[in-house]
Amino acid sequence: MKRRSFLKGFTIAGAAGVAGVTGFPGIWTRGNSAYAANGEIPVGVLFSLTGAVAVVESTLRDACMLAIEEINASGGVNGMTLRPYQEDPASDPATFADRARRLVIRDKCVSIFGSYTSASRQAVLPVVEGRDNLYWYPTLYEGRECSRNVMYGGAVPNQQQQEFVPWLKEKFGGRFYLIGNNYVYPREENNVCKIILSQIGGEAVNEEYVPLGHSDFSSVINRIRAAEPDVIFCTLVGDSDVAFARQLHAAGFDPEKMPVASLTRSEVEVKAIGGDAAAGHFSSAPYFMGHKSAENEKFIEAYQRKYGTDQVTHFVSEAAYFQVYQFKAAVEKLAASDISPVNIRNAAVGLSMVAPQGEILIDGNLHTHLWPKIGQWQSDGQAKVIMESKQRIAPEPYWAYEGQACTENGLVRS
Amino acid sequence: MNTTFKTDIIGYGLFAALILFVVPWAFAFDGFELNTFARYLTLGMVAMALALSWGYAGVLNLGQAATFGLGSYVMAMHLKLRASASSYNGMPDFMGWTNVEVLPWFWEPFHSLTFTLVAGLALPALVAWLMAVFMFRGRVTGVFVAIITLAFLVALQLVFISEQRYTGGQNGLTGLAPLELFGWRADAYSTSFYYMVAGCLITALALGLAVVRSKVGLILRAIREDANRVRFFGYDVARYETLAFCVSAALAGWAGMLYVLVLEFASPTYMSVPFSLGIVIWCAVGGRESLVAAALGAVVVNMLEGRLSSIFVEGWFLFLGILFIVVVLVMPRGLYGLFSDAVQRLQTVSPRDRGGKVATKATPLSATPAVKEEN
Repeated sequence: MKRRSFLKGFTIAGAAGVAGVTGFPGIWTRGNSAYAANGEIPVGVLFSLTGAVAVVESTLRDACMLAIEEINASGGVNGMTLRPYQEDPASDPATFADRARRLVIRDKCVSIFGSYTSASRQAVLPVVEGRDNLYWYPTLYEGRECSRNVMYGGAVPNQQQQEFVPWLKEKFGGRFYLIGNNYVYPREENNVCKIILSQIGGEAVNEEYVPLGHSDFSSVINRIRAAEPDVIFCTLVGDSDVAFARQLHAAGFDPEKMPVASLTRSEVEVKAIGGDAAAGHFSSAPYFMGHKSAENEKFIEAYQRKYGTDQVTHFVSEAAYFQVYQFKAAVEKLAASDISPVNIRNAAVGLSMVAPQGEILIDGNLHTHLWPKIGQWQSDGQAKVIMESKQRIAPEPYWAYEGQACTENGLVRS
Repeated sequence: MNTTFKTDIIGYGLFAALILFVVPWAFAFDGFELNTFARYLTLGMVAMALALSWGYAGVLNLGQAATFGLGSYVMAMHLKLRASASSYNGMPDFMGWTNVEVLPWFWEPFHSLTFTLVAGLALPALVAWLMAVFMFRGRVTGVFVAIITLAFLVALQLVFISEQRYTGGQNGLTGLAPLELFGWRADAYSTSFYYMVAGCLITALALGLAVVRSKVGLILRAIREDANRVRFFGYDVARYETLAFCVSAALAGWAGMLYVLVLEFASPTYMSVPFSLGIVIWCAVGGRESLVAAALGAVVVNMLEGRLSSIFVEGWFLFLGILFIVVVLVMPRGLYGLFSDAVQRLQTVSPRDRGGKVATKATPLSATPAVKEEN
């Protein structure tokens, strides 16, 4: 009985403590309505640290925080420091929406840096559009979106494929086997791929989709063997890509004769696949860790010093890193009293800067002009950049859709 | 009239006052803050729905999120069609991406708002009824009900993810138009919207209370205690269980519809296993023996989750986990159990003492002397 009542008392105390932590809601609602106060600029950092995509998103968080710390260490933005508000949306779209709302409303962030998957971006969209805030999204994606409240730092299909597909056809042949996970990104990339193939006289011998997380590819591999394509065009992501690459290697496929051409495979996936199984296959991306430039050396050096020499940088973490610098450059053009999401967006348009991948530019449609590269994976887990686009490629999120274009006035139909 | 009933009514009144007056005042009528709280209220509603079947009828539905998700997609389909009115063939954009040529027939009726509102309640109830017929007619009980409902949830989510052409797949239904109801345009960030959600929760709670306080509720509790005995009295146990299961599903569907209005998108994660187990946890923390307590449990846990995650960005899940373990170990009947024990202790000198002792001797699951008293 004594023990029980002790426990009860303990729980009541616990409940009171809980109420204390929860806090009375009113106290966090009020405050200064100006965005930049006390010499601080509040920014949201919204990457999952737990859950299904935490492996990738935590590297994006790392790259983003690295840039924020570098900027603060070198004097901040016009003498003001960046104040990062970190949240963990736990890989769940509803939580993404909730945390984004909190960053925008409670913490009064002028911008949010965040997220990897399309599903989470679309969950955040109503929040940033409703409050006219700014969301810096570093990931390559399927295009067909033209929000005035999102800064798209990753490649859209035309940037990844415009040079990649013709190059593959010339080198290996025009019969492509399309394999991807079953969601909007692979389907949209494949739509673009098929259009390009039909223009250059190639063909898709088969188009196949497996559920996200699918990891048994024996029947897929049999079908590929029977179809004898020239190229395996791959938009599998995460665990599926890792499983597919390993099983393909184990089945004895020769990358010299039938290479995998991936739009999603980066240093992170190759690390999980293992260098031997990945070696010889190709990826198209605006950035590889193996790219040679002074900015990239600086980036990798700083990244590994902070997070360990076994860590890799990749094409999404590079964008998570340079987007903070783009943000900085945009804010620098504004007086402290003018700092607001909309003004930052307007100041960012047309901004050019040298990123690890090369000199990039923010288009009027808020996407980024990038330098696509073709990398061939080596057994040490790094990609050798074997072809670099001769010019910077402009982002055309509606490339595959005639009569539609994303412009500085939003989506225009002609 | 008895103590439990009085507690219920007082608790209900306090809860209604809290969400109608105190919360809006505390948030200074800021529509954006209230939107966050409206989300907690919809989660409270689905926890309350689970308490109805789990706490009262003893049917542990681990797949409560399935009916919640169905409700949310019903609402989202209507709003998506409204948003796509000007697009090609009036078809949602994702159908174009997946090369669907014409609007599928089962999307057509969702042009109608009335149909949508009815379907949001009726479709989950219908699905629940089908499951219930197989389970309860076959006298499936206890842990097997939990397994079947969980398996159903997983299967349903898989279908929604893989049938991307019709459901939007992994991304769910996004880019929705606002709801228009009798000329009122639902702006998720307005105070009127918050009152709409709060009003729905209060109405749903009232409906739930009416069910559990009726004769049906009495029989349900009797079934929870000893189904065989009730069967020997001549009651059709399966029919009562089915009823509780279906009402619970309809309320969950209702909550799902509101959730879409709050978050402005529908996602297959609304039918995920973690979410569904979350509902069970909220219900357990609040106390499954009371509808109001279950709703409050969801609100409290979600507020806490939000708060913890911003204090301990890394490892907030751990804190939450520890909290749940403590709750289950120390107060298996949740906050409500704690509260009702305290009330009982205060009344130890009253003549009701005898009844109170009976209750403590019984298992923690078994409820209050109310059953006996009402007989």
